[in-house]
Amino acid sequence: MDTQAQTQIERRDPATVMRLSRLGSLHQCRLSFMRQLTRRMASENWSFTRPVFDIDTNGVGRAVYTAQGPDRAYSLVAFAHDLPPEQRSDRVIADAWDATFALFDGIPTGADIERLSQNVPLQEAGRVSESELSLSRANRSVRLWDHVVEALAAGHQPDVEQIYQVGYLMRTTAVYGSGKFGAADREKVADRSETQAPFQVEMLSVFLTRTFVRDLVQHMANVKGCGQAATLDPEIARWLGIGNSTGLGMAPFIVNHPVLFNNWIMVREEAIARVRSVEVASTTEISQFRDVFERSQLSMSWWRSEHPIQIGKLEELNADLHLIAEYLRHNDLRGSRPWNRVMSWSETKLSEEGQEFLASLILEPYGDLVDGLTSCMADSCTQAFVIDGTMLIGKVCDLIRETYAWALDLDWEARENCARAWYVSEEKLEPRMGERFDEPISDYEQPLAPARDAAAVYDALQGWDDTKPVAEFLLHHPEHRHTIRRIQMTTSAPYGEIRDNTIGSKVLPIDMLRAKLSFFGATHFDPRSDRWVRICMYSGAPYPEELTSENADLWVYPQEPT
Amino acid sequence: MNFSLNEMEATAKRATRGAGYSWGQAEEASKAARWLCAQGMDGAGVLAGLLEQGLASDSAAHRPGQIDRLWLSERALCPLSAGPLLSDAAHLLKTGPVEMRNVAAPALLLPFACHAARLLKEVLTIEIDGAQMMTDGERLVAPDSLPDTVHKVVVTNGGALTTPRKQNARACPDPQDWCVLNRFAHRTYAPATEESRLLGAGSGLSDND
Repeated sequence: MDTQAQTQIERRDPATVMRLSRLGSLHQCRLSFMRQLTRRMASENWSFTRPVFDIDTNGVGRAVYTAQGPDRAYSLVAFAHDLPPEQRSDRVIADAWDATFALFDGIPTGADIERLSQNVPLQEAGRVSESELSLSRANRSVRLWDHVVEALAAGHQPDVEQIYQVGYLMRTTAVYGSGKFGAADREKVADRSETQAPFQVEMLSVFLTRTFVRDLVQHMANVKGCGQAATLDPEIARWLGIGNSTGLGMAPFIVNHPVLFNNWIMVREEAIARVRSVEVASTTEISQFRDVFERSQLSMSWWRSEHPIQIGKLEELNADLHLIAEYLRHNDLRGSRPWNRVMSWSETKLSEEGQEFLASLILEPYGDLVDGLTSCMADSCTQAFVIDGTMLIGKVCDLIRETYAWALDLDWEARENCARAWYVSEEKLEPRMGERFDEPISDYEQPLAPARDAAAVYDALQGWDDTKPVAEFLLHHPEHRHTIRRIQMTTSAPYGEIRDNTIGSKVLPIDMLRAKLSFFGATHFDPRSDRWVRICMYSGAPYPEELTSENADLWVYPQEPT
Repeated sequence: MNFSLNEMEATAKRATRGAGYSWGQAEEASKAARWLCAQGMDGAGVLAGLLEQGLASDSAAHRPGQIDRLWLSERALCPLSAGPLLSDAAHLLKTGPVEMRNVAAPALLLPFACHAARLLKEVLTIEIDGAQMMTDGERLVAPDSLPDTVHKVVVTNGGALTTPRKQNARACPDPQDWCVLNRFAHRTYAPATEESRLLGAGSGLSDND
């Protein structure tokens, strides 16, 4: 072996990683926000209580779940409602839900709960305060809910096959944080160790919501069973996650937060590069990897979708799983740089789904190399917003060629390349995407086509002196300020920009949704259209009272139930 | 009613865009309004007042013709042109002051002076019709309010922060100003059609499954 070959494997090229089809194939990994939270709560020995559970026989009432960390407490304040079926809608335009929630910063008083009871059930139409960190709601999966209530009420356990296939009793249809509807700004919690990483507030809210839902279904079964009801088997309860139904509202997020999104992707790429650079895998590491690979296949077998795109991707992924299994039969992962070898092999043999699945999986044995990177996933660099007006125009053009070369050759006037436009609807103030040439929306277009805009800047800069500072150009062309800002961000955020057309006739917003949701730690992506996806969160996770350092991390990989 | 700073920023961005400014200026105006609110100043009122002047309809008349030390415009100088320029051209302050004449909503220059101070790692003094304000890139020394229009603004490198303003975590806009901002913001929203309801957001499927 060449003993000089100690150089680190480089991170993958943004031009490869940042394609939409690949971003739309990302899988959860040990950097995921849910797993960061459960690891932390276990290692810090958080305690959990349910000080209020006041739900009537119709399933209407309120409950409070408090999570106590080393320095602070957080409480989920939950309201259960009796929702007529015709009002049950996944859509953000709904105005009534089966359950509504706020995550309170601390332990709420009776007056706080009363105040929240007047507002939280109204969701967007209500107001919360700087004492609240998030606002959310959830609807039942009617089929599974009814089945579980009826089974338990009749004194027996629900059918596990149905639980595996649906995955959750309720799905959230929005979890609002960061100052929405009057809640506290992100800045309030950004410096706390437990909420420094992205979306920890939202992940905690969902973690506690799952417990509430389990308790509520048991309560309803007890009511119906008149003393004969069975108690839900904890082994079965563990496979109940919380669903989430996400539409276009989330897609612009990764375009609107290029530095934050860069940090997520760059940290994952750094983690992959570190593991690929491992010279020799130990016996323990190899067996850990083989173990999670085996376990992940069970989870994959529960992954269902009726959407043709995802059906095709699942077929490819299942074929890839066979190829990986075969590779592992013929390769003992001994020898030099085993993870680099398997990754290089995957690049020529597997689909993007399979490649990204494998890339996430090789991180599992290497918590010591990977987990410390989680502290780099937040965006605390407010200065990146400020344009460097002294940058020379020649340098700006260089940066455009580096990141947007593919976009400079595209005919942005051609209908298929600008067929879509993103806009905000008057009705719900939510982002939507429409057909530019069929709907009256282009006057309202949101700046969500950075590549097109970069190509426009590049054209506009032709004829300008390369040695002039860009401030001179910007004085006369304020319409290009937002794009110059993004272009300059690419110097410190190379993974911040999607390398694909976000307004073309073939764009799939579900790819953007999946990229974001995979970092949450979501599984079982089930697109319901090209712009709307259902997922599962926390399936397999321990409940608060079960949480230990042993089960806090790998819960995402199920073990065959005994 | 009080609002989160995030709500202030989001509303200010849409309002500025709705008033006809570029997206980049809207982003900067919204951060500027948020920053003023965080300093306990009336960011919503200052921005609402500026947007009502309608300067964006003839933006070239409201910005400096070139980058030198004296910034003049045909008509009132818009702080959403002069402010970003002050930040873009902060290096000018290393070698001397920058002077502006006939400035609308001069309070909106302060957040951009803050950017410039941070870029230069210096305290900057902003003299607005004789009244002195200072920022070190984080904190601000300034009175609660400033005139709607001023004759002369001089920005100089140097100064000392005497009694910086207290930081606020919430915005408390005057309801009328908040209405003005929302009225402008509304111009950025596409009227809903049945087609957009069904297609634009994703699906018309029921959730009863």
